Amino acid sequence: MALLDWLDERTGIRSATRLMLEEDVPGGARLRYVFGSVLVFLFMQQVVLGILLAFYYSPSATDAWASTAYLNDQVTYGWFLRGLHHHGSSAMVVVVVLHLLQVVFAGAYRKPREVNWWTGLLMGAIVLAFALTGYLLPWDQKGYWATQVATGIMGSVPGGEPMQQFVQGGSEYGNLTLTRFFALHVFVLPIALAGLLGVHLLLFRKHGVTPPDLPEPELRRKTQPFWPNQLFLDVLAMAVCAAVLVGLTVQTHGAELFAPADPASNFVARPEWYFLFLFQLLKYFQGPLQIVATVLLPGAAAAYLFALPFVDRSKSRAVRSRWSVLSGVGLLMAGVTALTAVAIVEDGGNESFQHGVEQAHAEAARARELAREGVAPVGGVAVFDNDPEQKTRNLFKEQCATCHTLEGKGSEEAPTLDGFTSREWLAALVRSPRDRRFYGATKHNTMEPLTAEQASDEELAAVVEYLVSLSGASAAASVDAATVARGKELWDKKLECSSCHELEAGKEGAGPTLAGRGSPAWIARIIRDSSQKDLYGDTAEMPKFADKLSTEQIEALAQFVASRKAP
Amino acid sequence: MSSGSGGEPDAGRRGVLKLGIGALGLGLAAVPVVPAVGYLLFPTGSKGGEGAFLPAGKRSAFAGSVPVRVELHADKVDAWNKTPDVKLGSCWVLERDGALQAFSTVCPHLGCAVDYDPEAQKFKCPCHRSAFALDGAVEAGPSPRPLDALEVQEENGLVAIKLVRYRQGVAQKEPV
Ligand code: HEM
Ligand code: FES
Repeated sequence: MALLDWLDERTGIRSATRLMLEEDVPGGARLRYVFGSVLVFLFMQQVVLGILLAFYYSPSATDAWASTAYLNDQVTYGWFLRGLHHHGSSAMVVVVVLHLLQVVFAGAYRKPREVNWWTGLLMGAIVLAFALTGYLLPWDQKGYWATQVATGIMGSVPGGEPMQQFVQGGSEYGNLTLTRFFALHVFVLPIALAGLLGVHLLLFRKHGVTPPDLPEPELRRKTQPFWPNQLFLDVLAMAVCAAVLVGLTVQTHGAELFAPADPASNFVARPEWYFLFLFQLLKYFQGPLQIVATVLLPGAAAAYLFALPFVDRSKSRAVRSRWSVLSGVGLLMAGVTALTAVAIVEDGGNESFQHGVEQAHAEAARARELAREGVAPVGGVAVFDNDPEQKTRNLFKEQCATCHTLEGKGSEEAPTLDGFTSREWLAALVRSPRDRRFYGATKHNTMEPLTAEQASDEELAAVVEYLVSLSGASAAASVDAATVARGKELWDKKLECSSCHELEAGKEGAGPTLAGRGSPAWIARIIRDSSQKDLYGDTAEMPKFADKLSTEQIEALAQFVASRKAP
Repeated sequence: MSSGSGGEPDAGRRGVLKLGIGALGLGLAAVPVVPAVGYLLFPTGSKGGEGAFLPAGKRSAFAGSVPVRVELHADKVDAWNKTPDVKLGSCWVLERDGALQAFSTVCPHLGCAVDYDPEAQKFKCPCHRSAFALDGAVEAGPSPRPLDALEVQEENGLVAIKLVRYRQGVAQKEPV
């Protein structure tokens, strides 16, 4: 207390607090007055949570997704704080609407509170702008594509292009889009909201609350002090709101995070639920009429709300005398609700959309799992490079594609590896070994083609089956025993392949031994050093990778090439 | 002003309301604040792992007693980024009595990079003039302890060095 006295003497803190708290609520404390206070609470909570998120989030196109995934999946309670911020924005939208409806119901927009009403509407718009700008920040598929639609709309209205370019920081999405959205979301909008809130609250204090439409003496008789009577209800409502938010956050395990933004993909973009009505409206107005849904109708609704204090010409604020205004606002809300419901129902019955959502969830889960290892500095979709198969593909592209083709890409200096040593590949090779698909561009192009006179297609198929049976234990399990037997007979008795090719492992011939040919182990030997005597010997041209790549890398490449057999 | 002429809200009832406001208010503040403690102070379960042995080159590169400066590279995970093959630090390596000896280049005083002066045959720190003998002992200046020796491993003619950072400014050699 002595400390408080000391402080009060120097700051007047007691009288300031009294000034803030001591106010009469004519007609008594009421639950329907709580919405404004709940909004103040939610805004403050969003600010605290936003600052906490900024301790880990990094606003650049290369870092945004990876830092969000890190924050969400690795930092202690990161998922909870991010989830609370995410659901908190939904709560703000809901409570803004409830607040507005209570103000309309009470007739609080009427003279002399017009300016309070307008600052309120502006704050409502700012809440929506928060939601829009925040949605993009994780730079995931959902935010990226949904925001594309929003800025696309901006650019499609007459004269809107410069504005689109301004918020995007150029003609397309990139680092500048993210830094701009970030600056708007964490600096411009909070400062604007705080400023408007100050005006809003001062005006509220100036005019006082709009009491129920009761006779003056009754209002006076029922008057209660703001502190503690109304404030208790306010704080109780905040606590209910916070409990719902915490429950929702725990139940959903925080906010979703989709796979990193990929401009080359097609994603089933949907806006956040409170923008679905605009999304749905857009479906009814196409082509030149689009502007009706994007500007004219929303603009008309906003203008109606702004003009409400003048539209309402009734003498009293009694509900009976204001039916036209009340039904106007009611109709507006009903329209928004109906459009939202239709949008949800349509998506629910849209199979390709549901399928897309499922795929998006699967991709998100994979990306986030891979992100736990850390994402390469190029960021975003590079997270998929952590996938072992993708690593091997990248290795192939660097080391092998300079000579070998795979999936139609690469050079033809060496045999194509698409379908490598599949039955089809082997049969085609035996018929025309000097084709560029096989050994045509290499030094070991000395093998003679096997013509149809020497062996029919059916005989060739039997020999190929025999070769497959030699290529290792796993391949041997899939062969047809009778065909293999016939192939072996042809090999032994009729064909002349064995004059160059040995069938014994390690045995040297004019051509490579066919024992184990095409198995991962055999391919790994080729990658290490294809000039071994039982392989390609002196005609080998492929670089030896034994020293360049690690054992694991060579084995992964061998597995990868061996698995190209499957179509 | 706020007399509450209704009669019903007596002082006792108001006291309860005030208590309620205080309790609920604390609860509201706790919702973001409690998780924020873990979030800010203990962000991830494990704290910076053990230093690893990093390849430093061929044994033959370090013949002779003149220290050679080696840069050590490894893949580095920095929060959400994983960068392949980044320079993590460097060390001085020299041969003493046939065995390899490595010293961190981080000055134990306040962390400047220690240099080698071939004329004086001493390690010298450019910042506050600490000087160290070839065995790492302090010969001059404010350094509170000798140069930090790093573990060396030799295998098949290849050298690997375990890169560890130690606390600066204290007499004890403690890893950070
Ligand atoms: C972030 C958004 C907003 C915040 C933080 C906020 C906050 C507040 C607070 C604390 C009050 C006093 C308590 C009350 O009567 O409920 C208030 C009153 C008021 N607000 Fe808001 N408000 C917001 C948005 C709006 C919106 C969207 C509108 C309407 C379009 C609006 C219109 C009003 C009016 C007319 C009053 C006076 C109420 C009366 O006289 O009974 N506010 N606001
Ligand atoms: S940092 Fe080396 S002497 Fe001060």
